[in-house]
Amino acid sequence: MTAPLVDFAAFSAASQLAIAVFIGLAFGFALERAGLGDARKLAGQFYVTDFTVLKVMFSAIVTAMLGAYWLARLGVLDLARVFVPETYVLPQLAGGALFGIGFVLAGLCPGTSCVAAATGRGDGALTVVGMFAGVLATGLAFAPLRAFYASTARGSLTLPQLLDLPYGVVVCAIVAIALAVFRIVERWERRAA
Amino acid sequence: MNRTLAIAALVLGALAAIGGSPYRAQHANVDAARLARAIAHEDDHVTALELAEWIRDRKPRLRIIDLRSEREFATYHLPRAERVPIEAIPSTPFARDETLVLISDGGAHAAQAWVLLQSLGYRDVYFLRGGLGEWLDDVMSPAKPSDLTRYFGGVPRATGDEAAYGGGTSAAVKAMRRRGC
Amino acid sequence: MSGAPLAADDVREVDRAASSHVQVTRAYADPYVAGVALGLVLLAAFVVMGRGLGASGAFASSAAGVVSAIAPRRAATNEYFARYLAGDGPWRDWLLFELIGVILGGFFPSILAGRFRFEIARGPRLARTPRLALALAGGALMGTGAVLARGCTSGLALTGGALLSVGSWLFIAVAFASAFAVAPLVRKAWR
Repeated sequence: MTAPLVDFAAFSAASQLAIAVFIGLAFGFALERAGLGDARKLAGQFYVTDFTVLKVMFSAIVTAMLGAYWLARLGVLDLARVFVPETYVLPQLAGGALFGIGFVLAGLCPGTSCVAAATGRGDGALTVVGMFAGVLATGLAFAPLRAFYASTARGSLTLPQLLDLPYGVVVCAIVAIALAVFRIVERWERRAA
Repeated sequence: MNRTLAIAALVLGALAAIGGSPYRAQHANVDAARLARAIAHEDDHVTALELAEWIRDRKPRLRIIDLRSEREFATYHLPRAERVPIEAIPSTPFARDETLVLISDGGAHAAQAWVLLQSLGYRDVYFLRGGLGEWLDDVMSPAKPSDLTRYFGGVPRATGDEAAYGGGTSAAVKAMRRRGC
Repeated sequence: MSGAPLAADDVREVDRAASSHVQVTRAYADPYVAGVALGLVLLAAFVVMGRGLGASGAFASSAAGVVSAIAPRRAATNEYFARYLAGDGPWRDWLLFELIGVILGGFFPSILAGRFRFEIARGPRLARTPRLALALAGGALMGTGAVLARGCTSGLALTGGALLSVGSWLFIAVAFASAFAVAPLVRKAWR
């Protein structure tokens, strides 16, 4: 039997939702413990003083990437059954650009804004409200956006496919880049302090 | 602590570089008897009219996979269809709970992709029996127009081959039909 | 501090402590350790559910639920919301329950660590009202961006980053680049 367990264990709908809450709890806990409920901490990154966000995000990506690769390699996890977010070049470029502006204005991202709101911060609550309004408004105005939204679709394209490199080589390269980036930002933080 | 984490990441990453492919997709597992039964029971395909109903009724988790070339896809494709080249089929991780419908020009590539996906463990997969030609003939320009024809903006067939296609389809589609797709 | 009345000096001491935020709170975890923990949570989601984490999807699902409650016809014919209404409906969405977990997972530990505090996190030169306006505007921009990009920092960047999705890395690069580009313009808000 290989993971994902959901394909084999036939969890009922209710138990899947219970798992969702449980995974969310751990997610929120990690974000809170890292201090990512504090908008000042997140915003500090864009003024080269506090790189907590980048460190947490990048080390989480590296951990899950290495874990997924090795579990798949050892036959525990079937990687082809894990849903890979799909690539839509232009919508993701435009969406990413808007998202970045919102990120710096709010000092929070969607997940961390929920943690900020849950730890008593008013700015977090307002970011949650803004997020909801933004999604609602964009959803209601979807008809004219539809063509753009569906444009430049590349399916579940991965970096190894794009670069025509073995999966493991890309994994190794990302680990190397992450460690190099950590070194650099540590130096910047020391300089800012 | 951080040093240990960094070293662990480096070692695991370096080993990954020489560790080989993590996908087991390449080693597909074919239950030939099961596939043969599915084919015999005609559980392997949908007709154009069935597919048209699925699209109209917004069947949940339906994905229409068009295997044709980018140019052919740009000329005409079914509503909600997405293009996935056949060589990308084995490495595209579709969700397990999705219903996949495969479309190619005449149906041969779609039928082959059906076997590939079955061998990779996807169960809810169908191909459009007669390919795009069947869609154009039975849904977009049938001899007797149905509700579905109107829904998709098709136009009933006039006499002979000079059918008029509606719904934004153009002379290029007519040409495609004449080529006998 | 027991029931004994505070001396004047003690009060001043407490005030000073409160104003400089030196309170009895536990320090935040090391970012790398927290990151590895977060990565293990993400890996657990891959192994158990065959999917990653998310946040903006829960917003989309609940927005679909709200629209469908107010204007069912409009929601059903809206191509963006309709897909969240299929299946078990918008209020039984996996990501929505996950996000409820995130909120609880942020709330309880912050209480336990003495970090829960009603406040408005803002830069030293920014008043409360403009800070809240920025939060609202920033949230709305992120909402629109997340719809277009089909995800946010959790669902697209973290999840897809770990699975080497091209779109995810594209999103990470562009989002950070645009944030760095805009940061000098809103320097007053944070510095």
